[in-house]
Amino acid sequence: MKLEGIHTLKAERRVIWVMIMDPDLLVKITPGISELVKKDEFSYEAISEVKIGPVKGRFKGELSLTELNEPESFNLKISQNSKIGNVDAKIHIQLNDLGNEQTEIIFDGDAQMSGVIARTGQRVVSGVANSLTKQFFDALDKEIEFMKGVDG
Amino acid sequence: MSYIGKSVKRIEDKRLVTGKGKYTDDIKIPGLTHAYILRSPYASANILGIDTSAAKSAEGVISVFVGTDIEGIRGVPTGWQVNFKNGDTMKEPAHPLLVTDAVRHVGDAVALVIAETKEQARDAADLIDVDYEVLEAAVDPAEAIKDGAPLVHEDAPNNICFDWELGNPVSEVDAALAKAHHITSLDFINQRLVPNAIEPRSAIGHYEEHNDHYTLYTSTQNPHLTRLLLCAFVLGIPEHKVRVVSFDVGGGFGSKIFHYTEEALVIWASRKINRPIKWTAERSESFLTDAHGRDHVTSAKMGFDKAGKMVALKVDTIANLGAYLSTFAPAVPTWLHGTLLQGLYTTPKIHIDLKAVFTHTNAVDAYRGAGRPEATYLLERLVDLAALEMNMDPAELRRINFIPAFNGVTEPGYQTQVALQYDSGNYHGVLDRALEKVGYKDFRKAQQESLAKGKLLGIGFSTYIEACGIAPSAVVGALGARAGLFESAQVRVQPTGKVSVYTGSHSHGQGHETTFVQVVADKLGIPMEDVDLVHGDSDAVAFGMGTYGSRSLAVGGSAIVKSVEKILEKGAKIAAHKLEASVDDLDYANGKWTVKGTDKSIAFGDVSLTAYVPHDYPQGLEPGLDFASFYDPTNFTYPFGAHIAIVEIDKETGKVTLQRFVAVDDVGNVINPMIVEGQIHGGVAQGIGQAMLEGAVYDESGQLINGSYMDYAMPRADDFPSFEVERTVTPCPHNPLGVKGAGEAGTIGSTPAVVNAVIDALWKAGFKVKDIKMPLTPERVWTAMNN
Repeated sequence: MKLEGIHTLKAERRVIWVMIMDPDLLVKITPGISELVKKDEFSYEAISEVKIGPVKGRFKGELSLTELNEPESFNLKISQNSKIGNVDAKIHIQLNDLGNEQTEIIFDGDAQMSGVIARTGQRVVSGVANSLTKQFFDALDKEIEFMKGVDG
Repeated sequence: MSYIGKSVKRIEDKRLVTGKGKYTDDIKIPGLTHAYILRSPYASANILGIDTSAAKSAEGVISVFVGTDIEGIRGVPTGWQVNFKNGDTMKEPAHPLLVTDAVRHVGDAVALVIAETKEQARDAADLIDVDYEVLEAAVDPAEAIKDGAPLVHEDAPNNICFDWELGNPVSEVDAALAKAHHITSLDFINQRLVPNAIEPRSAIGHYEEHNDHYTLYTSTQNPHLTRLLLCAFVLGIPEHKVRVVSFDVGGGFGSKIFHYTEEALVIWASRKINRPIKWTAERSESFLTDAHGRDHVTSAKMGFDKAGKMVALKVDTIANLGAYLSTFAPAVPTWLHGTLLQGLYTTPKIHIDLKAVFTHTNAVDAYRGAGRPEATYLLERLVDLAALEMNMDPAELRRINFIPAFNGVTEPGYQTQVALQYDSGNYHGVLDRALEKVGYKDFRKAQQESLAKGKLLGIGFSTYIEACGIAPSAVVGALGARAGLFESAQVRVQPTGKVSVYTGSHSHGQGHETTFVQVVADKLGIPMEDVDLVHGDSDAVAFGMGTYGSRSLAVGGSAIVKSVEKILEKGAKIAAHKLEASVDDLDYANGKWTVKGTDKSIAFGDVSLTAYVPHDYPQGLEPGLDFASFYDPTNFTYPFGAHIAIVEIDKETGKVTLQRFVAVDDVGNVINPMIVEGQIHGGVAQGIGQAMLEGAVYDESGQLINGSYMDYAMPRADDFPSFEVERTVTPCPHNPLGVKGAGEAGTIGSTPAVVNAVIDALWKAGFKVKDIKMPLTPERVWTAMNN
């Protein structure tokens, strides 16, 4: 499954970079993630719970960041296993500085599913992915506004 | 008592519709354990390690086995060998019961967990940690044969299992095409289907140490062959120590012909743990591991002369066999497909070139029709398309190309260009009857008028032939079958004149318990209540080849008739003795022997009693009245028919509504018209399912993405109009009942009629679309109109 999209955030690029590198914040804003434990500087153990159409699963696995080019881009590798199947995703994330305290995030990648989620949920998977992405960015927007509120 | 030709209600239905059927999963044995099979979530991966320690110590777990525990045991074999064109041996990679170093499709068996309950086995399987190294998969068969594609088996270069050809020399076909006035060409896919028997596969292995005996209860169409393969080819255990039982089976459609790995696993493991083991597939497993059907990629050309006479047919097909060779897999795209490309037509030059290909997908094998639906789809799509392209009437185009009628008795059979000799046929007869029934002329008028009102109506034809009861054994042996294709039957008359019939055919919806009993009761002139049928138990029935390929009545029924004839022959000797007459002076009718021209007679039951109480008995004659027969036919049988579909397309949405479906089939003589009609109805429903709704979809990583009833569209009653079914009768000239087989005809004939009807509707509305991929979803039809 292709994962791609663009979202514009109202904060400076370096600020965004710091935010999305913060595991505590990520746990807070990523839908479904209940635990994110740092393994080393660039990888985490993640536990999440996601409902995809008719199936629901508790996923466990790894989240790692590679090819970091601060503050412009990085690759996100997700590998999550569950009783209802596994998800492996590779996503390239690009942060473009638009000036004027605006940053554009472009993400582009692929996710592969196996197991029950591959054969029962496929029709709705991209819908679920879009909805989760939207929730993530909405939460990130809120965090930025909250942070600005605190700063201001 | 005359029963043949009567629509007697099905005897088995009382049991089946009141919940008294005996299916494998219903069987309970003291001490029964339950198995769960851990299956690969990946299409292609190396196994770097398996840790079963947590599973082994989980609650209720008795044993956990992985591939390395059963090394030395051969995998399941295939039953046909089809070699390369150049004579090289077919690639026949092992199909292990449990994999060791690599998985080759989603659903490949990795570990067997046995526990006290099914739930415990399943929970324990979740604790098994398999370290997979996921690899690229070969999924699309047309891509899989390209250089550099991932290999399913190291020893099958370009993933080719074998290549094969049949027909006239390709140079002659090319020459005929070069001279053709018109060539219709079509590239298309006959998509993969999931058989979807309502009863999931199930197997119980029961080893009894005290007498070193095994019983396998299994939901199979083929108990004796399963026993033979299991004993002689997989486990190497003596055949007389194994009983295979298959009582009621809830649908097979081909998918339960084959010997599956799970059957061997439960037998092997039952001895290991010295307890009976039951395995029953979950629906999701059925989707992943019941052998699938169809899956051809084809490019075909049909040439015509100026008058519309067919001059040549050239076919290139890639057949996807999946990751492993299932029992009949090599035969389906070859001897059950290439051989049918003559169709009903006099085409003088035909050639097919075929590549059978491995991919990282579930095995593909015979599914209702098995090869003949693919051949029929190919031919009938080409003929209707040619009629549109040449602006000819599709019925007329068929008529001028049909093989003239022949009865196979006083007129010889028809020798095709593709190895077969048709037995008897009257192809104009079925088409004419179907045209009359559908009201063809009126329809064409209505079609034009409705077009003016913006309605898209279409009519599609399919005139098919198929081959049933494949035989004789010597011929199929020469074609690569590793088994004979005869059938056995025993007719045992009990002392009181009641009759038990033992057949090697297997009934799983076909109504044998009624039809076969009708035949025996009719021939013996006794009430049907006095006859019972026994099937599906290797301890009761001497031998059998099982039920598939619409062979049961043509082959199994003929074996029964042979035994009945022996009963009557011996009975006549006893009767003659009792009546003090000569055998030649006796008539047999209505259950008694009568001395011609007198009222002296003796009833069947008195003769049978005499046979078992032989006090006053012919000298030198053995007591008893019990005969077994084996029947090996001299040829296939060739049912045929004409199917016509009428559809309406919603221009705004692309939704296709099937308005009418007319089927005129000729399956030879008919024993029970109601059962035949039911078989046609079911078959037509399955064929329309392929045209409009069904299709297994693998994504590029080899995941089956519609592996549930929420995702795979099965046809339902409200997808269909009431089918209009009729028959003509052209008896089979070479079997004693004159029957041809009816189980698959509906599926074989119906699919192209529906697609042709949609193409006709579009073409008449100005959308000159050659093909729409099946299933014809509204989106695909809409796209065809809006491209």
